[in-house]
Amino acid sequence: MFGKRIDYAGAVGFIVFMAALPLVFGGNYLIGVLTVSVIYGIWAVSWDFMSGLTGRENFGHSLFIGVGAYTAGFLNTAFGFGGWWSLPAAMVMAMLFAVIIGLPTLRLKGPYFALAMLSGAVIMQRLMLIFWEQTGGEEGINGIEPLIRSQLGFYYFALAALVLVTALLLALARSHWGLILRAIRGDEATCQAAGINVTFYKIASLVISAAFAGAGGAIYAHYQLQVSPQLFAVVTSITIITMVYVGGMASIYGPVGGAILLVLLTELLREFGEWRLMIYSCTLILILFFVPHGLIAPTWRRFRSKLRRAQ
Amino acid sequence: MSALLEVSALNKHFGGLHAVKDVSFSMAAAEIVGILGPNGAGKTTLYNLLTGFIPADSGSIVFNGRTLRGLAPYRIAGLGISRTFQLCRPFVGMTVLENVIVGGLGAQAGERGDLEARALALLEKVGLSGKEQLLVELLSYGDQRRLEIARALAARPALLLLDEPFAGLGSGEITDLSALIRSVHAEQGLTVMLIEHKLHEFMRLVGRVIALDFGEIIAEGSPEEIVRHPKVIEAYIGRGDEQAEEQADAA
Repeated sequence: MFGKRIDYAGAVGFIVFMAALPLVFGGNYLIGVLTVSVIYGIWAVSWDFMSGLTGRENFGHSLFIGVGAYTAGFLNTAFGFGGWWSLPAAMVMAMLFAVIIGLPTLRLKGPYFALAMLSGAVIMQRLMLIFWEQTGGEEGINGIEPLIRSQLGFYYFALAALVLVTALLLALARSHWGLILRAIRGDEATCQAAGINVTFYKIASLVISAAFAGAGGAIYAHYQLQVSPQLFAVVTSITIITMVYVGGMASIYGPVGGAILLVLLTELLREFGEWRLMIYSCTLILILFFVPHGLIAPTWRRFRSKLRRAQ
Repeated sequence: MSALLEVSALNKHFGGLHAVKDVSFSMAAAEIVGILGPNGAGKTTLYNLLTGFIPADSGSIVFNGRTLRGLAPYRIAGLGISRTFQLCRPFVGMTVLENVIVGGLGAQAGERGDLEARALALLEKVGLSGKEQLLVELLSYGDQRRLEIARALAARPALLLLDEPFAGLGSGEITDLSALIRSVHAEQGLTVMLIEHKLHEFMRLVGRVIALDFGEIIAEGSPEEIVRHPKVIEAYIGRGDEQAEEQADAA
């Protein structure tokens, strides 16, 4: 019980901190960086729900992000739907893609799923270029309407979305559903012997993961007011996976911290110019080498058990 | 008396190997039946056919009046057949308690009841009290074996298939585990099928033995009849002579 109270206190502390940051320091630049970090948080959390819990690593999360973003872009510019239609539409489209890819590949063992997701993202990126007359090619879709005019307002909206998604997925991960996903990671055959429909849980989890990645994509589209094929890039997926590793796999809340930390790190390193990527990569390697279970979630667990002992 | 499990003319080939050959037998409710046979006789393959992990080539399996052939493993488990594996396959990365809870999650929602309370009771029954919050990979091999049985029982099976539950255990542990199986059988009228090579304990536990060799049933009967059966002795020792018979007895 006490542990739970510490968790809630930590969550409230985090939300207040994130909400207060732009008020204290101000500046549109900071708000922009925070907005991007919060959107990456949504992507990382949604990746962790499926891949972190079941251990089936998804190397093409950008597929769902891109699908969500392009859905938002098309609806808004080509069909003239209002911005708020983007979110549900993006979620539905991303879920559809998850079913199409998950159905044939998640039944198989081994690396098929990871490879299928990776190629799916690459193929979509190519398709956006091939059908440039419809998709705008390299330029993508421009002139997407903003959801909320005020930059601060939009940041708070994105932050609220992150909190909502994290709370939802955390609740699911701590329910029997999450227990089953972790059991699938442990041993699929034993799951089947226990009467669990492994394929259903894997596909349904991918669909849930995709829905929130797509929603994040739509939010991103309405932030950038533009979408481009770059959204499907493999590097986006790899960045998200790195954020989850830094945050702590399968903890759901850890990747939020991982995402914010890495986005801020990228920004802080800007002044190093060409050395930036080098320093960024070395920092990552050091983190993963010394704390292979991640930075955020294990640190929080240690802090919590210390508090509990002190009580 | 109608049979709980009715297997007839079951066949399975792996390429040129006829792994299970025209196997037919039946089991009544509340029986303990042992499957005996040398390595490669097709015992585990038979389990995999019964539980749907491997599709059969031909034949039929009827459990509780329902045909099992063609059903997915999780469906068969849901109908009330639980199994353990020859090598322990726990859910790595989860606690002992969580392992047993997952074992009960496949049951119909109505039958789940209070999963955690049941899991705790089962852990006490198999002698793992006090280890509930340990990560499963920290358990000793013998404890993993017990956990495997607790996990299988959590699904409230009507038929429990045990695949070499005594493998790798010391004699004291074997006696404990054997007592556990016997008590579950006595209390809940659970039907048990058992593959085992540790013949001493095996023969005391089972009421009836089905002996397999090269995928075929070569003998069926009480433990006493089986150890004297010439075909069984031949399968284990080669030519049946008096000396061989003594060895089979001693085993």
